[in-house]
Amino acid sequence: MFCSGRILAVSYPTKPLSCTCRSPHSFSGAGFRHGRPKPPPAYFSAKWRLMASEPDSSSSSFAASVDSDSPDINNASSSAAAAAAGFCIIEGPETVQDFVEMELQEIQDNIRSRRNKIFLHMEEVRRLRIQQRIKSAEMGILKEEQENELPNFPSFIPFLPPLSSANLRIYYATCFSLIAGIIIFGGLLAPTLELKLGLGGTSYEDFIRSMHLPMQLSQVDPIVASFSGGAVGVISSLMVVEINNVKQQEHKRCKYCLGTGYLACARCANTGTLVLIEPVSTLNGGDKPLSPPKTERCANCSGSGKVMCPTCLCTGMAMASEHDPRIDPFD
Amino acid sequence: MSGVLLWVVCPKGNAAAASLLGLGGGKLGRQQRPGRVRVAAMSSAVANPVARTSEERVYEVVLKQAALVREQRKEREKAAGTDGLSNWDLLNEAYDRCGEVCAEYAKTFYLGTLLMTPERRRAVWAIYVWCRRTDELVDGPNASHITPKALDRWEQRLNDLFEGRPYDMYDAALAHTVSKYPVDIQPFKDMIEGMRLDLKKSRYKNFDELYLYCYYVAGTVGLMSVPVMGIAPESKASTESVYNAALALGIANQLTNILRDVGEDARRGRIYLPQDELVQAGLSDEDIFRGQVTDKWRSFMKDQIKRARMFFDEAEKGVVELNAASRWPVWASLLLYKQILDAIEANDYNNFTRRAYVGKTKKLVSLPIAYGRALVGPTSTKVAELTRI
Repeated sequence: MFCSGRILAVSYPTKPLSCTCRSPHSFSGAGFRHGRPKPPPAYFSAKWRLMASEPDSSSSSFAASVDSDSPDINNASSSAAAAAAGFCIIEGPETVQDFVEMELQEIQDNIRSRRNKIFLHMEEVRRLRIQQRIKSAEMGILKEEQENELPNFPSFIPFLPPLSSANLRIYYATCFSLIAGIIIFGGLLAPTLELKLGLGGTSYEDFIRSMHLPMQLSQVDPIVASFSGGAVGVISSLMVVEINNVKQQEHKRCKYCLGTGYLACARCANTGTLVLIEPVSTLNGGDKPLSPPKTERCANCSGSGKVMCPTCLCTGMAMASEHDPRIDPFD
Repeated sequence: MSGVLLWVVCPKGNAAAASLLGLGGGKLGRQQRPGRVRVAAMSSAVANPVARTSEERVYEVVLKQAALVREQRKEREKAAGTDGLSNWDLLNEAYDRCGEVCAEYAKTFYLGTLLMTPERRRAVWAIYVWCRRTDELVDGPNASHITPKALDRWEQRLNDLFEGRPYDMYDAALAHTVSKYPVDIQPFKDMIEGMRLDLKKSRYKNFDELYLYCYYVAGTVGLMSVPVMGIAPESKASTESVYNAALALGIANQLTNILRDVGEDARRGRIYLPQDELVQAGLSDEDIFRGQVTDKWRSFMKDQIKRARMFFDEAEKGVVELNAASRWPVWASLLLYKQILDAIEANDYNNFTRRAYVGKTKKLVSLPIAYGRALVGPTSTKVAELTRI
């Protein structure tokens, strides 16, 4: 903790330490709950009251200061803080231009240093969460998450009750007894009782004959028959499991971008390029073939053909929190 | 408080109306609240221009909408159909996605849209998705990141898409919709304004403030959908009255939402009931947070439900004037939502812990009833003149 504190102190020389400590929180914001508006975190509400009370000129000047800060490459840290503070979830065509004045090498260095910082921050979050859990357990604060020690998750098989570790035993018992019962029935009971399970108590051969199916079906080898039946059963149950798995995963992804994190750019219709249409006069030079139309990079999406999905903020998940295992070490 | 409804003749060409159009306010707050068609009930005389009530201000917006529809109709005849989108594949895909989003988040509403014509259905989906995305900015998973700047940018995107330059595929669907139907930008802007206000407010002093809020979150959706639903050509009623009815339906729906979710909202620290009326009934915020049904609460709820029903009645007058193809879904949604009020009463006014729920059978039964009522067309000339503003 001390180490990282020093790093923070070094990397944000222009801002007071208390201010920067809060800025990461505005992003990890404990628990992205899909629900009613809750009061925004302290950092944002303070900033916002400032913005709301002052006339438009101040908010635009704030925006201007952010933009002027960001190309300041010497003080990459302060620009990072400023850029973080100026982050706006709705992007415009100009947001990608924030770093346009950097050289390629500088961009690579910046990327590397930021990824480093992300790693360190996530590590801190993990340790903080451990402490949080320990302290709240000490203070006897019952958090809702503690009920998830034995999480209840829905069964993959439809119509069955949700599973938990306690339930699992019952599942095992039921499963084994069913298998045993069927084996006993098929292996011992049925031949002993000479059960004829065909329609009207007929034997297999009679059943085939009555259904007017080809007679060779009645000569199917019992081993082959049981193997086929078993295989069909297993394969279809595996399919059911997979389908349920897919449904569950689908639940988690953002419905707007279908998990991709991006939406098709409407200006260039997903191609990334805009065709410049120039009217061509056909009065003179009527025998010259038309030259192919010039294209230019679509300014909206900077040529990528897709734009950020504002609902999931490019994460592709329905809840746009970081899906990093370090976020919750007790999971 | 809003017991007295006076139909007034508002002076035309009211210059003040333009300045009051940037009204703030409402929010689609509650997650699965799709838009509906609504109408405002008007009250208060024109004699006091200084102390305008929300209802007056909203009414002026309605008047402007009606006037714009007439203008747009002329413009539309002149301008050729130029929508900047020539990529039909992308557009169709966008519309399909809108439908999927609608089906995902508002199942009953989606089923209702299936009763409409395919073109209208797509248009309503596009509007729904935009409203939902706007709502999710302040109420969704990223609500903690929302800033005024984000809302400004969102409004800029709205302006762009109305000018035929949509930003992403969902904007493209809406851009196509507004090019095909005479939808005005003002209700959309009002909704964004409502988001701005809703971020600050969690209490409403009187019904006037609550009315404005309901206009912002729900009334605007009504104004957005009237051009899509279309007014019956044989209707003799004025455009304003139909818009008013749409506004009333929206207000009614929002009030129903509020009355149904009192407990849920209270758990999040929000009370969408007028404070002065609570005081009058001898109740306080504490009583709501405590969540106990007392006789005072019952009588308070009775009055609130009565007012919501009044708005529904206002709305019903306008639904008959809609296009024949649109009457059935609108009636269906009206009847279904009205039944929620019955469900609250059946729960003994316990909206703290019990959710007023309309069962599937009741929903299904409402469909043929709605169909029957939809067969009734626009009122005859005489009746129209009597009820017209």
